Amino acid sequence: MVSGFIERTILGTVSVLKDTVSVERYALQRGFLQERDPRYKSCASISLLIAMVLCNNAAVLLSLYAIIVLLVPFSNIRIGFFLKRTLLFVPIFSFVIVVPAIFDAVSPGTVVASWHVFGLKLSVTRQGIDAAGIFCMRVLDCVSMSVLLVLTTRQHVLLKVLRIFKVPQLFVMTIGMSYRYIFLFLDIIQKMFIGIKSRVGFVSSSTEGRRIATAHMAGLWLRSYRLHTAVYDAMISRGYNGEAYVLDEFRSTIADKIMLILSFIILIGAVWANRFFH
Amino acid sequence: MGESIFSLKDVSYSFSQNIIALKGLSFDIEKGQRIAIIGANGTGKSTLLTMLDALIFPTSGTMTMAGKTITERAMRDPGFQREFRRKVGFVFQNPDVQLFCPTVKEDIVFGPLQFGIAHDEINKRLESIVEKMRISHLLQRSPHQLSIGEKKKAAIASTLIMEPEILLLDEPTAGLDPQTNRDIIDVLDKAHKAGKTVVMATHDLHIVEEIADIVHVFGDDKTIIRSGSAEEILSDNPFLQTNNLVHVHVHRHLNIKHVHPHSHPHPH
Repeated sequence: MVSGFIERTILGTVSVLKDTVSVERYALQRGFLQERDPRYKSCASISLLIAMVLCNNAAVLLSLYAIIVLLVPFSNIRIGFFLKRTLLFVPIFSFVIVVPAIFDAVSPGTVVASWHVFGLKLSVTRQGIDAAGIFCMRVLDCVSMSVLLVLTTRQHVLLKVLRIFKVPQLFVMTIGMSYRYIFLFLDIIQKMFIGIKSRVGFVSSSTEGRRIATAHMAGLWLRSYRLHTAVYDAMISRGYNGEAYVLDEFRSTIADKIMLILSFIILIGAVWANRFFH
Repeated sequence: MGESIFSLKDVSYSFSQNIIALKGLSFDIEKGQRIAIIGANGTGKSTLLTMLDALIFPTSGTMTMAGKTITERAMRDPGFQREFRRKVGFVFQNPDVQLFCPTVKEDIVFGPLQFGIAHDEINKRLESIVEKMRISHLLQRSPHQLSIGEKKKAAIASTLIMEPEILLLDEPTAGLDPQTNRDIIDVLDKAHKAGKTVVMATHDLHIVEEIADIVHVFGDDKTIIRSGSAEEILSDNPFLQTNNLVHVHVHRHLNIKHVHPHSHPHPH
């Protein structure tokens, strides 16, 4: 084995990126969100995200979460798949981050429970639990919204949406090209590793492993340099002269506009309800 | 004699002072001709095509296109560059180089979009080319999800959609299955019948007679060592063997050793 760590890292990255491609099948399906214009869909998502960030009432946050979950089956996504992707890890990780906030040192207030650890008194407060709960709920809402947007929109289309925020065309195109060539290079890297393993087999020292990995990094850099020159030539050959024109196929319908207006109404309604129940 | 499109006079090209890629090439390409450039690996075929597409320029000698000398300076003129790029289409050897957009559809329409062709016209051309190449099912796919044959077809489509007068192809059939090979030859044949000039570098000698009227053979010294009709060159087996273009078969029947040129009635 050249280097277990490097190999595991690279093969793990390859697997994650391949998984990214496999979830694109949801974006290619027919469904409510898939049929929406990505520009309107992104703006509506941002509107809901703002609502989630501005609100700190559990009932309001739960209502926003209910709206997202309701959209899942209408977008032809299996609810189990969606919940597994969002519910399983997000609250766990955000809870780990928010643990200190439940104690009275960070959130003073009504003590619910106390322990003595190494002579130190640790007290969990009602206010701390509420703050942690709201934080986790907010994270869950935001992540669910983002995951739903990503699942129902092809990645390169999402990149194109950057154009509505006045990001220059060339920049958007360059990101799109990087996205395309990441897969080519991952494929090359994967084949390189198989090639190394088939010829070198097991390397006894980690120094030797690092030497081989470094040499191949240099080789890969040279390949990428040659490829970039050739790609540039291919662009020139087809009329590129410094200003790129790319396909812009966004088409909006009345349903897109209604969806956007509804998202604004939800934003205003959520902020109002948040203040009302506070 | 037909209308000359490209004319090369004593053209040489070096990557650096020591590495010569092309040496003393002189020939003309006339409108409507089908030319095959054959030669062993590393003899300069791809370099010549890259030069004909004005991506590199002669280090000595002159290359003209429709009477105008092609130099780096001439290509800096936006009007001329635009005219040149519209007329000359190049299919690269490695399709991954040519398919740089996130989807096949975007790759195919990239060229026409750069030339400011109206969207309706682009869509019309797209529909026609994907039908011809039988790749309509690939349009929304990402290039990295395609097989090598599908990539080649998409790359050819991305050049043909620009409707160039001159089509340069660098080994378009290398490493493809017989059916994809056939499809590509048919498309090139149709392009030629539609009046296009086709210049192709290839190793596949079995397709040369079908796709070329004139053959230029490159030698190890980076020069054209022979030019002639496809029939004349392909029938000269000793010449092809000497220049590493065909191989001999050696096999035994009991104690008798047979040595004969490589040939069979079917494609590779």
